[in-house]
Amino acid sequence: MTEQKDSILKLMNITQIFPGVKALDDVSFEVKRGEVHAIVGENGAGKSTLINILAGINTHYQGQVEFDGRKFIAKTPSDAQSYGISVVHQELKLSETLTVAENIFLGKTLLKHGFVDWKGMRKKARTMLTELGVVIDENELVENLSVAKKQIVEICKAMNHECKMLIMDEPSATLTDRELDVLFAIVPRLVEHGVTIIYISHKMDEIFKICDRVSILRDGKYIDTMQIKDVTRKHLINLMVGREMGLEYPKEEGKFGEIVLDVKNLTRKGVFEDVSFTLRKGEVLGVSGLVGSGRTELMRAILGVDKITGGTVTHYGKIICNRNLKDAISLGFGLIPEDRKSQGLVQIFPVRENICMVAMDKVRKHGLINRKLEVSYSTEFAKKLNIVLPSIETEVQFLSGGNQQKVVIAKWLMQDSDIFILDEPTRGIDVGAKSEIYMLMNGLVKMGKSVIMISSELPEIIGMSDRVIVMHEGHCVGELQRDELSQEKIMSMCI
Amino acid sequence: MSVNIDSNHSGNMRNSMTKNISKFTKEYASLVAIFIMLIVFSLASPYFFSAENFSNILLQTATVGIVTIGQALLITTGQFDLSLGQNACLSSIVAAYLMKIVGINPIPAIIIALAVGALVGAANGFLYAYCGIPAFMATLGLMYVCKGFAKIISNATPIANLPNSIGFLGRGYLGPIPISVIIMVGLFILFQFMSRKTRFGRNIYAVGGGTSAAYFSGINTKRIYLYTFTIAGLLSAAGGIVLMSRLNSASITNGNQYEFDAVIASVIGGISLSGGKGKIIGALFGSIFLVMFFNGMTMLNVDPFYQDVIKGFVLVVAIAVDILRNRRKN
Repeated sequence: MTEQKDSILKLMNITQIFPGVKALDDVSFEVKRGEVHAIVGENGAGKSTLINILAGINTHYQGQVEFDGRKFIAKTPSDAQSYGISVVHQELKLSETLTVAENIFLGKTLLKHGFVDWKGMRKKARTMLTELGVVIDENELVENLSVAKKQIVEICKAMNHECKMLIMDEPSATLTDRELDVLFAIVPRLVEHGVTIIYISHKMDEIFKICDRVSILRDGKYIDTMQIKDVTRKHLINLMVGREMGLEYPKEEGKFGEIVLDVKNLTRKGVFEDVSFTLRKGEVLGVSGLVGSGRTELMRAILGVDKITGGTVTHYGKIICNRNLKDAISLGFGLIPEDRKSQGLVQIFPVRENICMVAMDKVRKHGLINRKLEVSYSTEFAKKLNIVLPSIETEVQFLSGGNQQKVVIAKWLMQDSDIFILDEPTRGIDVGAKSEIYMLMNGLVKMGKSVIMISSELPEIIGMSDRVIVMHEGHCVGELQRDELSQEKIMSMCI
Repeated sequence: MSVNIDSNHSGNMRNSMTKNISKFTKEYASLVAIFIMLIVFSLASPYFFSAENFSNILLQTATVGIVTIGQALLITTGQFDLSLGQNACLSSIVAAYLMKIVGINPIPAIIIALAVGALVGAANGFLYAYCGIPAFMATLGLMYVCKGFAKIISNATPIANLPNSIGFLGRGYLGPIPISVIIMVGLFILFQFMSRKTRFGRNIYAVGGGTSAAYFSGINTKRIYLYTFTIAGLLSAAGGIVLMSRLNSASITNGNQYEFDAVIASVIGGISLSGGKGKIIGALFGSIFLVMFFNGMTMLNVDPFYQDVIKGFVLVVAIAVDILRNRRKN
């Protein structure tokens, strides 16, 4: 009985199914009143899905949630707020052009004699900020604040909505260390005010610093809840990533040839620094690291999208400098971008036009696009990559994620690209289609192409790479050969 | 066995034929609408169905039609240009001024006027693509610049009685067909062909259909915008010059509101406002529809003040149809 009284939040058998994915699978645990409770797990473990349920964004789930002794049914974010649950998202939801005080009272404007009570709102905002022990001028425009201070304004806004539980979703992802200290300092003050905190983070340091208990999710399943003081860092990482690896990753041993790409001391000031690596023919080079570690930016610079401020890129023994993507493409680089939907494909174009988009020279005769050539080329590549299609005239928006990704790869195969840069190649793709993409990667290296694979999913990195470089805060912090790869090793490097 | 195959075959034929017809009516809904309108107006007004009136409709379509081509190309990239009408006006005044006041030969005068139009278009494209100013604002600004220069050059008085040698552009006939109509149809066919058969044309659709996908496929998206705005400017100057020739006068009211008529005509012609979709030639039918619609209403003695109200409705309905068409797909 006493334990029940303690719990502010009870999750009972929560299951959430999205098309093709079981995002949450029978998850049950409790959060005690007044604690700082961490939820950890890899990308795709179900953390965001869980938060979205509590935030009133995901409404179609199975199971029951009890909050503060009441049954919790939220259809919208404002429903969730009226229960007393507020979320500070990674992307802050403030009006940049309004003042701090105005933001705090957004949607809760104080009135006096029917008119807006500016004086009262400023005064109350002032009090709230002092209580939290932070120095922010309530009359400052939000756009002039640092990210950390914006987060604090967001927290004040939540407090103003009589918040009983505050969910902080990776608040540190965009903060510098010093800004982080400011944020950490107010956490105990929030707890003093009777707020329970759910803290989502990838970073072990933070969790061990400010949390009381931690719950682990893995692949949508609940693993365990533990007292922070009873757990070691290593044990926690093991619980997060410890999964059996079967034939999920059909990696075949490749034969490597000459060095096709030799990157030395590559720097783009303030983004990444002094990064060196090589890529051999027929090799899959994994690039691991957290989001924001500079992985994508590194590739953008090599491809000529962003400017390089130092270092060299050597391509088949020749130093190159791509001024733009077109240069890179003509040298044989192909990019399979992270955001397949908007960056990889023109959604309203048929498969034919998407496949022929880069290697248009091949389908032109006397300078004019030849429909017959287009049809024969796109049919050939669709067949080669086993793309399941009603017709090559189908708009790509109607294809599944896996088939869409194959169309992107086909586009570069037709261009005869030989260095394929895959950024999060299986994000949002069903498990079944995933292994097909992996098979395609096998096929690419067999053809003598080289692959750079950026991925946040450790099992994928370990399962499919011949060699891995690990990025952390813009630096390349390590390189591991295939036989040295383990999740613990990579995790300890990038945390 | 062979009978079986045959019946199958004809079944397929019939199937594909109905499919083709439904595809045709979908793509050229404006053509079907024109046809229906022809019948309705012909029954309602005794003056509507005559060779003279049709020739009149086509003559009116010619000038706004040429401007519409540029707007249609821009809408396909996902942008639009509010300065096209005033650009047409300025270019016609530049041509008239050079011929009449300065006394330059018509051919160089027209070339300079076309260059002015292209320059205005290029300025729009540069401001949008390279300076990041929203097209709405950039082209609104250029609209006023054009309007101002048109007034300054002409002193806000019409320049009339232009050299006879340029009269054929707007008033000449080749057999029974007005030369201006031939110019417009020729340009429409040229740009329809360009949009479907050249790399540049395909890139216009790619940019409109997915700017970042186009960018990450190595297409220089900024340049595509710059070129398309420039072409639109050039075409609107051409439209302005044909209009000047037809009226035998250049005045600051020439080409007024052409930019909006061009948007309406494009949308009616099936060019999606969200970009990347539609056939340029469709805008030709859209233009004819628009001109015919108002011609018919004039024939039926509908108060011209009400015609503006109706025009507004036509625009909103056309856009609503466009949006619904896209929504159903998603």
